[in-house]
Amino acid sequence: MKVTAARMLARDWRGGELGVLVAALILAVAVVTGISAFTSRLQAALEQESHRFLAADVVVTSAAEMPASWRQEAQSLAIDTAQTLSFPSMVFAADDNMFLASIKAVSEHYPLRGELRYSEQAFAEAQPAAQGPESGSVWLDSRLFALLDVSIGDSVSVGEATFQVAAAVRSEPDQSPSIYNMGPRVLMHFSDIAATEVVQPGSRVEYRQLFAGEARLIQRFVTWLEPQLQPGQRLLDVKQGQPGIGSALQRAESFLLLAGSLAVVLAGVAIALAARRFSERHTDYVAIMKSLGASSGAINRLYGSSLLLLGLAATTLGCALGWLMQAGFFAIFAEHLPVLPGPSGIRPYAIGFTTAFTCLLCFAWPPLRRLAQASPLRVLRRDMPHENRRSLGDYLLGLLAVAALMFWYSGDWRLSLAVLLGLAITIVLGLGLALSLLRGGRLLGMSAGSIWRLALAGLQRRGSANALQVVIFAMAIMLLLVLVLLRTSLIDEWQAQLPPDAPNHFMLNIAPEQLQSVTDMLRSHSIPSEALYPMVSGRVMSVNGEDLPQTDDKQQGRRQRGANFTWADSLPAGNELLAGQWWETGSTAAEVSLEEEFAERLGLAVGDTVGLLIAAEALEVKVSSIRKLDWQSFRPNFFMVFPPKVLADYPATFMTSFHLDAEQKSFLNQLIRTFPTITVIEMDLLVEQVRAIIDQVSAAIELVLAVILAAGALVLVAGVQASVDMRMQESSILRALGAGRRLILGGLAIEFATMGLFAGLLATIAAEFSVFALQVWVMEMSYAPTPWLWPLGIALGVLLITGLGLYSCRKVVSSPPLAVLREL
Amino acid sequence: MIKAENLQKRVAMAGRELEILKGINLEIKSGETVAVVGASGSGKSTLLGLLAGLDEASAGRVVIADTELGQLDEDGRAAFRADHIGFVFQSFQLLPALTALENVMLPLELKGRRDARQQAEHFLQRVELGPRLDHYPRQLSGGEQQRVAIARAFASEPKILFADEPTGNLDSRTGEHIINLLFELNREHGTTLVLVTHDLKLAQRCQRRVQLEDGAVLAE
Repeated sequence: MKVTAARMLARDWRGGELGVLVAALILAVAVVTGISAFTSRLQAALEQESHRFLAADVVVTSAAEMPASWRQEAQSLAIDTAQTLSFPSMVFAADDNMFLASIKAVSEHYPLRGELRYSEQAFAEAQPAAQGPESGSVWLDSRLFALLDVSIGDSVSVGEATFQVAAAVRSEPDQSPSIYNMGPRVLMHFSDIAATEVVQPGSRVEYRQLFAGEARLIQRFVTWLEPQLQPGQRLLDVKQGQPGIGSALQRAESFLLLAGSLAVVLAGVAIALAARRFSERHTDYVAIMKSLGASSGAINRLYGSSLLLLGLAATTLGCALGWLMQAGFFAIFAEHLPVLPGPSGIRPYAIGFTTAFTCLLCFAWPPLRRLAQASPLRVLRRDMPHENRRSLGDYLLGLLAVAALMFWYSGDWRLSLAVLLGLAITIVLGLGLALSLLRGGRLLGMSAGSIWRLALAGLQRRGSANALQVVIFAMAIMLLLVLVLLRTSLIDEWQAQLPPDAPNHFMLNIAPEQLQSVTDMLRSHSIPSEALYPMVSGRVMSVNGEDLPQTDDKQQGRRQRGANFTWADSLPAGNELLAGQWWETGSTAAEVSLEEEFAERLGLAVGDTVGLLIAAEALEVKVSSIRKLDWQSFRPNFFMVFPPKVLADYPATFMTSFHLDAEQKSFLNQLIRTFPTITVIEMDLLVEQVRAIIDQVSAAIELVLAVILAAGALVLVAGVQASVDMRMQESSILRALGAGRRLILGGLAIEFATMGLFAGLLATIAAEFSVFALQVWVMEMSYAPTPWLWPLGIALGVLLITGLGLYSCRKVVSSPPLAVLREL
Repeated sequence: MIKAENLQKRVAMAGRELEILKGINLEIKSGETVAVVGASGSGKSTLLGLLAGLDEASAGRVVIADTELGQLDEDGRAAFRADHIGFVFQSFQLLPALTALENVMLPLELKGRRDARQQAEHFLQRVELGPRLDHYPRQLSGGEQQRVAIARAFASEPKILFADEPTGNLDSRTGEHIINLLFELNREHGTTLVLVTHDLKLAQRCQRRVQLEDGAVLAE
């Protein structure tokens, strides 16, 4: 057959028949590709960013030096390596000044990721360092300058070695957020460790072996390395690196993938709608071609190859548009993103391609395939009904395709399931409710005024088509509501986690007699602080009468642990009781409340007993409750909390946290000089980093949301358009018979508003279920019902559908009826 | 050439069976021109659909050029139409996305004719639309559209031409012009013409008239 698909497409294109389908297809590919490329580049960037917190891509920690063969293997794979060693030690200066510091020795190339920052004077402005201190020199924590009474150029000694103070160390990328056992930092060169003679077998030290390189090579290396790890050696990657960032990133990732999946669903719906309209408009063509002698095989080949060509063209264009879209995102957001976007790879384009062809095959092909069965008799009788009605099989095929695409796209079956649940609820409720309500309107409508009768008659005449449309509108609105809800709760939670005045400094080792003067000093500088927590150091020795092993590196399981205890009369802020009972005020019972994970590690449950060693005295207590903590809150948190009277006789110090603005930093000098024994830990740079990342992620989420909203709006437009022809025709006939503008527009408005009302209601119900499932299963957030969703969802449905519907049908009252009829 | 034996057509409508054709017997010789006349609803168009193989009969048979249409499946009948049959319809039935030339080329391309373009141009010139080859149907008047349809019908040189109320959508002057064209071309090509109409003047120009009433042949 010489009527080639390309010619037919070209002719259809010129005739304007293809516009909707092509636009839907290109939009689908562009949105899916654009979002996918954007998120994967952003993910690559954010992952890069989060690698900062490890100072590497992966890290192995160990209590003993690690074999050199690991570094050789890594180097043979072109993976960069660096080593660090941390241990506590006394630092000595002139005039017998000394202080217990946390020493960290770093090799060349440290850090492999992120930035080491230093300043030329204590607390002066920090700047990035190309590398750590040179051999023979050390960088000191700002507050050590005051504590040791030294300045740049002076000498200090660690063990047997003497060093020159070269700079103040301000921040390390892999600074541990843990606030315990952390003296002020002394940074030295790795090769100087031997000279100090401090590190002996059995010393409490932590070696870290850092690796960084291309993701593929790192993956290969990790596979090689993992089987060789000894007990006590731990492999860290981004997910374990920084709990605060980790969960924020993971949720953001879930959100972005969800958004992408929704783009797939919306694309599928848009294509299905467009293909249906396309095939309806082509039924007459096929009838004419068949009357002229075209066989059904020839027609199938014609439409099949047309679809193929269309798919290829739309995919190419869509991918190009998608590329432009993500490039545009990054161009607009370049200044807000301190990280450079990573590469997107080929996957987003493969996703675009697969989405286009899956959608064509599962949504567009079924109605087109049925075109070949159109009766040639249509050339004699144009009023014959369209035969390309969709079967249940078509819908199932479409739903399956959407599910498969979503799963492939997000790689998360729980996420896919949560959305599919919402869609299923919409479909089932929608068809049932819409059909029965639309039918029920018949009796009601008969006695009503004529606009109502017209509108309700219109609704009922197209009962099943309308029900289907209601479902499609509801699906689009539901997906948009789900995204808006999740975005709101995610961003709210992040903001709540890190309010602008969140504590960013910790103060430890406050002696009981200093409490008053420290509080006064903070107050006189109007520095807001958290409550003061007492702190007693001790060690967990036994569980249920059974002694725990002492060694802490050879044993993977339970072992003795040092911990800091506090006391409180009531449950500390931000804690949540998971099991057991909180004690009554004034309790003297020997009991303790444990943090969830701590209890799990020791295998403890409510009712068990724990043996402790505090200030060389043994104490046996019963576990009376288990708590959950928010480790991301930057508040003092404790594994073990006791009733005040139980710890009252042990030596205690106090700790607190407070917020200091950047311009108030000099307050620290004053504080340390006044109270030299107090330890201050600066977390401000870390807090700022976390906030910067969260800001970026929030911006990305807002942006993606905007794109999906646009896609959703397009589905609504396509949905309204699909029904416009028939409504226009009927309205034109009414118009020709002399119906006024008010009657026609009023009738149409009621019809669309009714559909919008049902769609909004369904969407809201389904969105609640979906958001519940997503929050509980996927995002691990707590679910809270959203009453404002109901009026919003319903109003959105009514206003959007009525507005779009009337806009699409506006011609009916502005053009002569015959002109409208002729165009249809 | 065309032979209809006891042709019947029944359709189910609103739960009961409606008999549209009640056993038609008809024979049309090669080169003959026949008008099928009758009031609206007498079954004219249904008969045309069955004779042209556009529809299947409930009973009886249609034989054209020794081929029994009922023995063919839908695709077989399509191939048969491509080889033997041309149409002119009341509502023209041009494809709106194709130009006049492309519309005429369509059946030629379906038959795989290599000279589709020359043949189509020739026939469009024959119906005096030479200067308007690249116009779309919506840019043509009703009469012009029907001339394109006539060019399309004759371009593939069918043995039989079926025309369904060819002047039904045209004013009387344009209609007459179209009819003259139709009969001229018919003479030139010796085509068998079966024409459905309720226009008696048009029917008079055919060699034979078959009058239908209520699904049966009333008179010849």
